[in-house]
Amino acid sequence: MEVSHSVKERTIAENSLVILLQGLHSHVTTVDLRDESTATGRVTNVDAFMNVRLAEVTYTDRQGTVSHLDELFVTGRNVRYVHIPDEVDIRATIERQLQAIHRVRYFGGRDKGRKEFPRTKHK
Amino acid sequence: VAFFFFQQQTTNTVEEPLDLIRLSLDERIYVKMRNDRELRGRLHAYDQHLNMILGDVEETVTTIEIDEETYEEIYKSTKRNIPMLFVRGDGVVLVAPPLRVG
Repeated sequence: MEVSHSVKERTIAENSLVILLQGLHSHVTTVDLRDESTATGRVTNVDAFMNVRLAEVTYTDRQGTVSHLDELFVTGRNVRYVHIPDEVDIRATIERQLQAIHRVRYFGGRDKGRKEFPRTKHK
Repeated sequence: VAFFFFQQQTTNTVEEPLDLIRLSLDERIYVKMRNDRELRGRLHAYDQHLNMILGDVEETVTTIEIDEETYEEIYKSTKRNIPMLFVRGDGVVLVAPPLRVG
């Protein structure tokens, strides 16, 4: 599972719906951009800010001109829609992503390793 | 399939505006978006940014054309259907129950 190496990004993703998009890794999806163009390709990465990397892309610009790109990076701000493929089970995908984050977070056991968040202090 | 993505949820009462959206989970809703777009679909999930997952969506894009001779405004709308759509929250203007036509 592809979990971000950054604590900040993991926390942001865990608390928003971006986590679903992160679970679309390797799926062929269509991203509608803010400027009315569309990009269809295989998702290679989505970060906590919804920046999307696609591979083997069919890009249709605003005028309708089609082109093919090996890779495309879309800034999160420029995403309007992401078409979720029919084969994706949304609930399962989100749960899988959350489990992957928890596995990374609690690596080494509860009392071992560097803690991401301090344990609750007793007064 | 109703899925409420908000692990911090601890209350069932309506306390803040986002809670009103929670009442519409798994219901059909109307979403007005920027750039003269409207969506009608079933709300499966949302988050604090108003990123949403909508199922069985109909998107309506409205454009205004000006007649060259009469200068009257002609409203045209284009619709399309998408089975499952993730919507980025910063495009959302308002969320409401579906409008009753007529």
